[in-house]
Amino acid sequence: MISIGYDLGAAYSKVVVLKDEKVIGKGIAKTTLEPMESVIEARKAALENAKIDEGQVERVGVTGSGRNLIVKSDVSATDVTADAAGVNHINKEIKTVIDVGGEEARAVKVSEDGKAINSAVNDKCAAGAGAFCEAMARAMQVSIGEFAEYSLKSTQRIAINAQCAIFAESEVVSLVAEETPRQDICRAVHDGISERLTSMAKRIGIEGKVGLIGGAALNKGLVESIKDDLGTEVTVLPDPQYVSALGVALMAANA
Amino acid sequence: MEQKYKTAPLRCWNKAKDIRMNIYQEIAEAKEKGKLLIGGGAESLIAIPSGFEHAMLVGEPYGAAIAYVYRENPELYMQIVEAAEHAGYPRDLCAYMRDYLGSLLLNKYIFGGPFPHLDFCLQAGFCDTHSKWYQIVSEIEKIPYFSLDLVPFDWEIAGESEKTKQLKRDYIVSQIHEAIEWMEKTSGRTFDDEKFIQGVMNECDSTSVWAKICIANRAIPAPLDEKTILSLYVLAVIGRPRQDVADFYKECLAEVEERVANEIAACPYETARIITDSQPPWFALDFFRLFESYGVVSVGAHYSFALSGGWEYDPVEKTWNAARTPRERGIEIKTRDDAAKVLADWWLSTGTVCRGVRHSGAGKIQRIMDMVDKWHVDGVVLHLNRGCEGTSMGQMEIMQALQKRGTPVMTFEGNHADPREYDEQRTFARIQSFMETMDLKQIYEFKKEK
Amino acid sequence: MIKDFVDIYQNRHAYAKEWKRKHPDSKVVGYMCSYLPEELFYAAGLLPVRILGSHEPQNVTEPYVFGMYCPFSRDVLAQGLQGRYDYIDAVATAYPCMHLGQAFDSWTIHVTQKYFYVDMPNRVQTPYAFPFLAGRLEETKREIEEWIGKEISASDLKTAIEVYNENRSLLRQIYELRKAEDVPLTGTECMHITTANLFMDKKDANKLLKDTIEKELSGRKAKTADDSRLMIVGSENDDIKFLEMVERFSAVIVNDDHCTGSRYFWNNVEMENGAIESIARRYLARPVCPQRDYPERLRLPHLLQMAKDWGAQGIIFLQQKFCDPHELDKVAILNFFKEQGIPTLYLELDVTVPLGQFRIRVEALLEQLREDDIW
Repeated sequence: MISIGYDLGAAYSKVVVLKDEKVIGKGIAKTTLEPMESVIEARKAALENAKIDEGQVERVGVTGSGRNLIVKSDVSATDVTADAAGVNHINKEIKTVIDVGGEEARAVKVSEDGKAINSAVNDKCAAGAGAFCEAMARAMQVSIGEFAEYSLKSTQRIAINAQCAIFAESEVVSLVAEETPRQDICRAVHDGISERLTSMAKRIGIEGKVGLIGGAALNKGLVESIKDDLGTEVTVLPDPQYVSALGVALMAANA
Repeated sequence: MEQKYKTAPLRCWNKAKDIRMNIYQEIAEAKEKGKLLIGGGAESLIAIPSGFEHAMLVGEPYGAAIAYVYRENPELYMQIVEAAEHAGYPRDLCAYMRDYLGSLLLNKYIFGGPFPHLDFCLQAGFCDTHSKWYQIVSEIEKIPYFSLDLVPFDWEIAGESEKTKQLKRDYIVSQIHEAIEWMEKTSGRTFDDEKFIQGVMNECDSTSVWAKICIANRAIPAPLDEKTILSLYVLAVIGRPRQDVADFYKECLAEVEERVANEIAACPYETARIITDSQPPWFALDFFRLFESYGVVSVGAHYSFALSGGWEYDPVEKTWNAARTPRERGIEIKTRDDAAKVLADWWLSTGTVCRGVRHSGAGKIQRIMDMVDKWHVDGVVLHLNRGCEGTSMGQMEIMQALQKRGTPVMTFEGNHADPREYDEQRTFARIQSFMETMDLKQIYEFKKEK
Repeated sequence: MIKDFVDIYQNRHAYAKEWKRKHPDSKVVGYMCSYLPEELFYAAGLLPVRILGSHEPQNVTEPYVFGMYCPFSRDVLAQGLQGRYDYIDAVATAYPCMHLGQAFDSWTIHVTQKYFYVDMPNRVQTPYAFPFLAGRLEETKREIEEWIGKEISASDLKTAIEVYNENRSLLRQIYELRKAEDVPLTGTECMHITTANLFMDKKDANKLLKDTIEKELSGRKAKTADDSRLMIVGSENDDIKFLEMVERFSAVIVNDDHCTGSRYFWNNVEMENGAIESIARRYLARPVCPQRDYPERLRLPHLLQMAKDWGAQGIIFLQQKFCDPHELDKVAILNFFKEQGIPTLYLELDVTVPLGQFRIRVEALLEQLREDDIW
């Protein structure tokens, strides 16, 4: 059984191809003002990676804010459900998932059999966690990878506003003007975002092992801040940005 | 999928609409007919001016009407709300108030023509905003202003002393007398005590019967859905001391009970039931229809049950029933003072919205849990309403309590009267996630109302 | 001395714990609003301590309080959830505002179950508020007596009133000193004093205040006539970092209208008839918070008088983000001062502030105040 899962997010389109529930191909493309173009690009990349033709796909699952772009599907599910399915497939010990996307973050409680039993999303004030990291990296004139590395070298904690990305940005500008060491600023940004994410997760309660998915989970600096905030180990799932697409592909395969 | 239940339109719905339109017409014609035109909120103990020939421009439904305009005429809405912002009123203030102030500052009445010139403002300060809202209106319009301090009872679970309760009753009674004397002096008119007494009795009748209507919705299938409930509850909001409103609710109750007896459902596919919390986004009520496409009917909310309802606590069963009216309890109202005492006690003892705005802890949680039990609720939807701090008091604690109890609960952020703060796509996605967690499948395709 | 107040401000919990150790038969009551009639609790031998936030971002309150509620209310609740006030035996408040009210309700669920709630009227301008409040305070007295298992005597009340009146008078004295051209203490130093005072046994505070006035402030010059004189207006405020930044310029904060500042201590209890009635009158007559300022606006003439008497040249309006009561008054106040020809600066605060951005705005205000000098 070959199934394909689309996770069409505000920032990126991700596509995963499964054969008998094993990943055989992945593709990703930045979402543009012509969203269908990124869907096509990501799908093409995934099919090439899987070395199959589109005609060989038997089931289609879609998720993400842009999922209605795919008119025909076997399963259309929200990210919450897809996250739970994907995470459970990879690691059944994880019961609480934090998904950090470009524009939206969510926390999901996962049952034994991979169902979402509760969820929370970031409130408006705390929107754009992933995008904020990227914006701050640009402001500091480093890549997101370098931003993370700097953060890990920080030697002092500086508190910045964690309620609102706009306020936080103002504070970062102030810190730069005060010649605060770059690594401490990077750490402060990650700490601020982490606080919003862990606050949100605490709304539904942190239970069992915690898993991180979504593109921003690749940011080691952010992961470190989250671990610190939760006071517990946190598992970054492999290919974290594809987990939701994987989840909905599985759901399609089993529909 | 085959319909599970019979359904039929509510016969009295059109009458409700007519009464509402009459009330708005009376506002438009008040000056011409020599009546006083009073500005105030729904919680301003609107029975108090019953002793005058008057019409009342009630601020909250007016704010809701402005928000509704966004659907047809977003440019007009933006003009209005930005007028308040340009005057310096921050965007996180009560959305009803901002919409109202914008309309006032632009001198644009949403139903046509200039903003009606009010004779004075009469308001109860049951939340931090309301007493200041009408202070601002009075300053802009240069008209007199009376605000009554409404210090509510605590929830029954708190075990407030009888002495404290009596102090609160006496405080309100004194202020009611003060308000009447002030209105007479300000208007130069004589207050008719008989009309006031009748207004108070009507208020008790209206709100007691409304509570009975809400209770009838415990039936499975529910005879009413929340969207319909919201069309009906508004009559008490703007006219609870009126005879036609009191009479209407009796007629409505009879029809609802008939629907219960005949198992006539609001939602023909009723599979699960929810309640909501806080005002809904008035300009986007079709989200109720999205739920119905999954067979999920919203059977009510503390907000609409309590704002228009009179509820009496049963300490043995630890639940709330429709409050017995003074008539039912054999209390005679002969004088202005009798009426003031009955009105004050009615508000304090049976009005739970004000109480929930001041006391959002264990008592409010108990009421919501009670509703979940009594209305056979499968899930709760909390509108985290950025436009109203009062109704959002205690919501997160309610969420925690529901989670602990194992009742599915979802939240969505929005605003009841500022459409800019409501993200429909995001909200619909939240609802769909919630349906997935409750294992409910969509029965038919939901089509947005135009 | 000032440094003692700074120490207590920074180590508020250590102070309270030490007080508890020295008074093993007594209890500590944490409270959330300056309208709480502390005299009643003090008369019972209890120590009322104000609960304030710590200006640190946190992630513990979101499960309990809506994110749209002001940062101060969430910071206050966070202190309780993080166990910092684990030494208090009860929590108390008078009706504050909706946001802090929510923090209080959540505190009673998750932190301290024993609570006292005083229904403080909002409509302080009606004569009927007095019999209501006087009666309500009799009930509060009874509730306290029930808790501690003994009566609060008339003599206890008289003593408590005297101690609190002395405290208020001493703080007024310090504020009077700030009228001078050469101000003996900065706004930052004064904020340390007034805020630390909120955490202290007023007997201790009074000794320290007297010492400070007599031995430290006499003849002291912290700022001179060359410094621009500013007044700050808002809700609670102990934003020390912000004040320090402002006063690094040639500027001094000479007065305030804050609930943790002058509104807390401005008027005394005037003994007339019974103690409870006198206390009730005092709280109804004190400088109002915005949600209590209607139908007439009493704040405006009061603020103007404060500004004039202290020679304030400019006003900085410091408002907690999302604070409805102060936002509701903001337009009237800013317009009023504009009509009076007194420049204002309006800033929104969170638990941490963007000092860089605020610095630029404060500088702009100060340049505006010095326009006469420049031109």
